[in-house]
Amino acid sequence: MSRFEVQTIDYTRYSNRQLVAIPLLVLAVALAVIVGWYALTGAPVSPGIAFTGGTELQVSTTASSGEITQAFESRTPYEVESVQQAGSGNSWLVTFQATENSEVRQITSAAEDAGYTIESVSSRSASFSGESQRQALLGIGAAFVGMSLLVFVLFRTFVPSIAVVASAFSDIVIPIALMNIFGIKLTLGTVAALLMLIGYSVDSDLLLNNHVLRRSGSFYESTYRAMRTGVTMTVTSIAAMSVMTLVSSRFVFGIPLLPEVGIVLVFGLTADLMNTYLLNVSLLRYYKYEGIAK
Amino acid sequence: MNLRENWRVVLLVVFVVLASVALFAPTGSSDAPTNQVPAQSTQSAQNGTNGTNASGNNTTVTVQANTTDGPTNLKFGLELSGGTRIRAPLVGLTAEGVEVPADNATTLEQDLATRLNVSTLDLRVDSQGRTVEVFTENVTEEQFASALQASGYDVQQNEIRDGVTEQTLETAVGVLDRKIRGAGSLSGGDAAIVRSGGEAFVLIEVPGATRAEVLELIGDRGQVVVVAHFPDGNGSYRNVPLFSQDGIANVNPVQIQQTQQGGEQPVVPTTLTQTAAENFSDAMQKFGFTQQGVSACRTNMPNDEDGYCLYTVRGDGVVDGEIRGDVVYKAAMGPDLANIINNEDFVKDPSFVTSAPNRSAAQRLQLDLQAGALPAELDLDSGTSYYLQPSLASEFKSFSVVTGLVAMLAVAGVVFFRYREAGVALPMVLTAAAEVYILLGFAAAVGLALDLSHIAGFIAVIGTGVDDLVIIADEILQSGDVKTGRVFASRFRKAFWVIGAAAATTIIALSPLAVLSLGDLQGFAIVTIVGVLVGVLVTRPAYGDILRSVVLD
Repeated sequence: MSRFEVQTIDYTRYSNRQLVAIPLLVLAVALAVIVGWYALTGAPVSPGIAFTGGTELQVSTTASSGEITQAFESRTPYEVESVQQAGSGNSWLVTFQATENSEVRQITSAAEDAGYTIESVSSRSASFSGESQRQALLGIGAAFVGMSLLVFVLFRTFVPSIAVVASAFSDIVIPIALMNIFGIKLTLGTVAALLMLIGYSVDSDLLLNNHVLRRSGSFYESTYRAMRTGVTMTVTSIAAMSVMTLVSSRFVFGIPLLPEVGIVLVFGLTADLMNTYLLNVSLLRYYKYEGIAK
Repeated sequence: MNLRENWRVVLLVVFVVLASVALFAPTGSSDAPTNQVPAQSTQSAQNGTNGTNASGNNTTVTVQANTTDGPTNLKFGLELSGGTRIRAPLVGLTAEGVEVPADNATTLEQDLATRLNVSTLDLRVDSQGRTVEVFTENVTEEQFASALQASGYDVQQNEIRDGVTEQTLETAVGVLDRKIRGAGSLSGGDAAIVRSGGEAFVLIEVPGATRAEVLELIGDRGQVVVVAHFPDGNGSYRNVPLFSQDGIANVNPVQIQQTQQGGEQPVVPTTLTQTAAENFSDAMQKFGFTQQGVSACRTNMPNDEDGYCLYTVRGDGVVDGEIRGDVVYKAAMGPDLANIINNEDFVKDPSFVTSAPNRSAAQRLQLDLQAGALPAELDLDSGTSYYLQPSLASEFKSFSVVTGLVAMLAVAGVVFFRYREAGVALPMVLTAAAEVYILLGFAAAVGLALDLSHIAGFIAVIGTGVDDLVIIADEILQSGDVKTGRVFASRFRKAFWVIGAAAATTIIALSPLAVLSLGDLQGFAIVTIVGVLVGVLVTRPAYGDILRSVVLD
């Protein structure tokens, strides 16, 4: 049977310290980005309209971005927060801070007055959005704690369990830092993606731990087998998510929600490749060769 | 092929067949009104149409909760069908734990109405539920507490909370449902109660309608009050509310009556409840409407000179002796009705005809009377609203199907590249496809209205599904050929430990979303969790069996 061989690292050539250094460094940089972002903006990641409140209007027009801002600001007393191209063709996403019903009415009638076709309007009050933000953070926290507890129950030993949890933690933190760098806001879609990552990214770690701890065979042999399966899994998922991101992006179909879910999952799964096969592997090797002996 | 050995494959086939039935079998109810609750909503009390729905009603159209179109029974939510969604709390304050004897409830309502300068329709005293509610923005918690104290009820300000009771929410949802279904211009939709944090919201979804159309229908409470307006004999006029929607037992379709002058008069024929009828009959005799007041309403005169009139008021009715709201119509007591009342026959057949200035006003009045009044106004400024153009939505629908297919192809590509053997890779892709297909069948069977978040969930399921199939394949195809069924069974069990553990973490990670009401994400969580369950219990074991027949042959 001819098989496509997954490239593997010759782990025997590197010490645990060397292996751990790269993922820890990346994690440190990611945390620094998040802390820096928090210091600058007051939030670990910029929340989108779903969490701050505001009105988002998608209009179809041949006017330019400057003309659109002008059109709204001359007709309403509300400041245009941003104008972005959306979807394919002549669709623009215009955002405002104003959310009250009467304000939204004024904004939509201004759009009609300017001759724009309203494709979508969505507004969320600040109070509702604040509650959503609280729930989203609570949800991510609860999901992470729940996952960690389950991992400890599954393996019942400290080092292998903490290896999985640490790797999952990094899998969440790195995409959040990347969201800041690429200017992706925290939306309902990205929250869903982060939660999905908590469940998704531990798969390859579970597989690795299972092979190393519960199977016969040498450490390196087990790791190699787990890696062959695990890398295939993660690459398959990355392929599915990259394609989804690309196809649904505004350059092709312009479907909302799907690109942001996809891109965060691609970030997280890529981070997971590094975390599983550098961080988790070295912690497991430490546990296998030194942790148990002590 | 031994059926007994391949029971897992048989199970998969059964599920695929069931999914096909759910997706494609014609359902007799597809064009009957359905009480479909949208996916995002928690189970709500939809008390439907409580006998006020007159048959043959010319304004009632056939409605569906969410549009099902195309060849399948799938339902699509607003993000894929277009329309308007509004989520808003009800305006009001609630005092909890107030012991009001049932006999004192009406007195307390009148007492509080005077003290707070609001209509009694803005108050609700529930002696069973031990709550008192006030439904207006103009009363603060402090004012409400002191009014209750002044009426002899020891209620502190901290015992008063923002929001209304469950009962009021349920009434509101019932009224909104009837309004949406009764409105001829809308093609369906519904209302439900949803919760976010500690707060309860009313969620209204109307496919195909614009924001303005929906707000037109639900923007005000639709309260209609019939008020007696008459001279009190001392040179001034009195306004006495006679009945509101609560006093109307039955509403009939709009009719056009010929007036004595030969004109046309649109009217809404109604039947009053026993209590309202008695009250009306007594009041008409007492206030002189059946004597000197017959045919004595001079509608062209200003309010303080027009004589004995029955006002149809849209709004609060009467507060502190003054009309509050719009007077839609002024009518005089007819001689025939006066006779019936004087003979005490009105209570036996309490038919009351409400007139309107024109046909469209009559339709609106009929809808408001039939649907009932909203117990409290919707606080539109504290919620969310969403509108999506139907044409754009249908683009999203077809584009997301293509996106899903392309993602599937990408997965197939990676799998074929990795295994280079159709016997392993083809069943893998087909099994993952079957998983999505069964999930679609589930969505059709339970009437889940699909939105973009569900589509994201479906694509995520393709990803996790294939992951687990890779684990099974690698475990079974590992070095050393599978010679016997026993070796196979042992490897299969080993693979399943990881799959089960991975499934459990995914379910745990997503369950906060399914439980917490982040509204728009519940769908995603539900689809992914059900997908994982279907995968672990049905499709992935079947793939193991398929693979066995491939490797053992």
